[in-house]
Amino acid sequence: MDLSLLQHLAAGNTWGAIRPELALGCLALGLLVLDLLFPKRAGGLVACVSLAGQLAVLADVLCHFHSVWLNQDTFNGLLHPSLAGQAMRVFLLLSSILVVLLARVTLAKHPAPRIEFYHIVLVVTAALMLLVQSNHFVMLFLALETVTVGFYILVSYFRTSTASLEAGLKYLILGALSSALLLFGIAILYGVAGNPFLPGHSADAMRYAELAQFLTLNPHNFLASVGIVLVLAGVAFKVGAFPFQIWIPDVYQGAPTPVTAFLAVASKGAGFAVLLGLVLRAFPSYGWLVTPVITAMAVATILFGNLAALTQHNVKRLIGLSGVSHAGFLLLGVAAAPYAPLAVGAIYFYLLAYLIASFTVFGVMAHLAGPEDSDQELEHYAGLAKDHPFLGAVLAIGLGSLAGIPPLAGFMGKFFVFVAAYQAGMHGALVVAIAGVVVSIYYYFGWIKAAYFEAWKAPAAGSVPVPTPVGKLFGLVLGVLALGSIVLGFYPGPLGHWLQW
Amino acid sequence: MVPETLNAYIGLSAALFALGFLGVLVRRNTLVIFMCLELMLVASTLALVAFSRYNGTMEGNVFVFFILTVAAAEVAVGLAIIVALFRRTQTIRVDRLDTLKR
Repeated sequence: MDLSLLQHLAAGNTWGAIRPELALGCLALGLLVLDLLFPKRAGGLVACVSLAGQLAVLADVLCHFHSVWLNQDTFNGLLHPSLAGQAMRVFLLLSSILVVLLARVTLAKHPAPRIEFYHIVLVVTAALMLLVQSNHFVMLFLALETVTVGFYILVSYFRTSTASLEAGLKYLILGALSSALLLFGIAILYGVAGNPFLPGHSADAMRYAELAQFLTLNPHNFLASVGIVLVLAGVAFKVGAFPFQIWIPDVYQGAPTPVTAFLAVASKGAGFAVLLGLVLRAFPSYGWLVTPVITAMAVATILFGNLAALTQHNVKRLIGLSGVSHAGFLLLGVAAAPYAPLAVGAIYFYLLAYLIASFTVFGVMAHLAGPEDSDQELEHYAGLAKDHPFLGAVLAIGLGSLAGIPPLAGFMGKFFVFVAAYQAGMHGALVVAIAGVVVSIYYYFGWIKAAYFEAWKAPAAGSVPVPTPVGKLFGLVLGVLALGSIVLGFYPGPLGHWLQW
Repeated sequence: MVPETLNAYIGLSAALFALGFLGVLVRRNTLVIFMCLELMLVASTLALVAFSRYNGTMEGNVFVFFILTVAAAEVAVGLAIIVALFRRTQTIRVDRLDTLKR
């Protein structure tokens, strides 16, 4: 046995580069130990320890933002740390911290066990962080599957609720279907790019850089095109792009509210980071195929998401379908990315604005939800602003930012993406996107209207769940998030500058 | 391996994959759907092994072990969800599961 090869491989394992992920994994295991040591009062303790640990990891990532491993392959090419990857790490940690905060509110209303929820959230976050840095299809598939299997459990977490279990089953079937599509695409790409009879064939065909090299030398290979389309379909499913969005309303409605938020923000954000990596680093020479496919998907996604959201009365379905339209806007940015240098920064800015606005809205939803988590109707919001002015104000800011009302962050995000699309010459798609924004304002304002102007519609006391009182910590977080939407909208400058790479 | 043999393997793999895909779309029993999903994973595995042998690289073979592990985890979680759902609703037919609004 050739030991020197193994030694060479082991030398490529720079464990320091994945320190945050390792820390999250250890923290997740630590939570289980904590539950064993203090079974009586572990419920509150575990959430606090999980929060503290994640804040420490976040501080570590921020302090070492320009880490020594930037832009060089680690783990023999499995991972590729980059500034974009660092930004996504911060994004994912922020969203998992907010999910834990939401979970404290939602889990208090249910008899479900606590510890496992926090454990799985940490494992999924670590896997997401590896996913956004992956540079190799084996890594991509394994990280994606860790995330997906974790989400199967999280979506069906309220196992006494039929809605939650049914959502879990639907996510399971369609998630596994999309993983199979992705896997078959990877297998085809691996087979074609390693074929010894084709020019530029590679011994390590699953690595992005070598695959890109092969594709440049074989610009119109039929089998490679099939593989690329299958891989894109698999990822499009995870971000909920048309025609792979069918799971979104049901799963978003049935899943516990913190999990809906996690799916809507972290899973979708990571999906777009992966998509950008694939389009820019793995398939750059197949623009003739990738660009039209993604543009068509973006247009169809914007149209479908906005039109389907118009008729919804359940707020979880509404936010799911409006999330589909947000995925469409982001896809527009991805399609523009190879041609407009602004697009990458615009997508990350959009994702950050989307995170802030979404968690503001989800925070309000978590407080208004009753014991049956899937039953959250627009009517429940009637008179919210009168009875709970703080929640009403925060909700209006969050929804306004999601709709893209000018002074708020969501508007700047859309604006940057549209400018990038314009630079890339996608004028037709841009017209559809702007029409989509107009439609989206209608249903977001329907929600705000319910909270502000329909107090007379408020059903008799007792027929709707009473909102949970907002805790001090959560009130502070909601206030900061709402403020974040306003500040980022007025002054996106430093962040926009920071996101240029 | 000669190209004709590779074609046969890939043809079989594609046929199995298509069969699994159609099964997921058409069948109504959750357990059968689940088997069809596994069939799709196995079809990809077969393609990977055939390509790996033909190309003379080991990566495809190694990937197969990871896929088997993932499939096992997926089945464990999936069957748990199906059992929990059956206990509540006494059915595992997808057309009878309509608690969530369409």
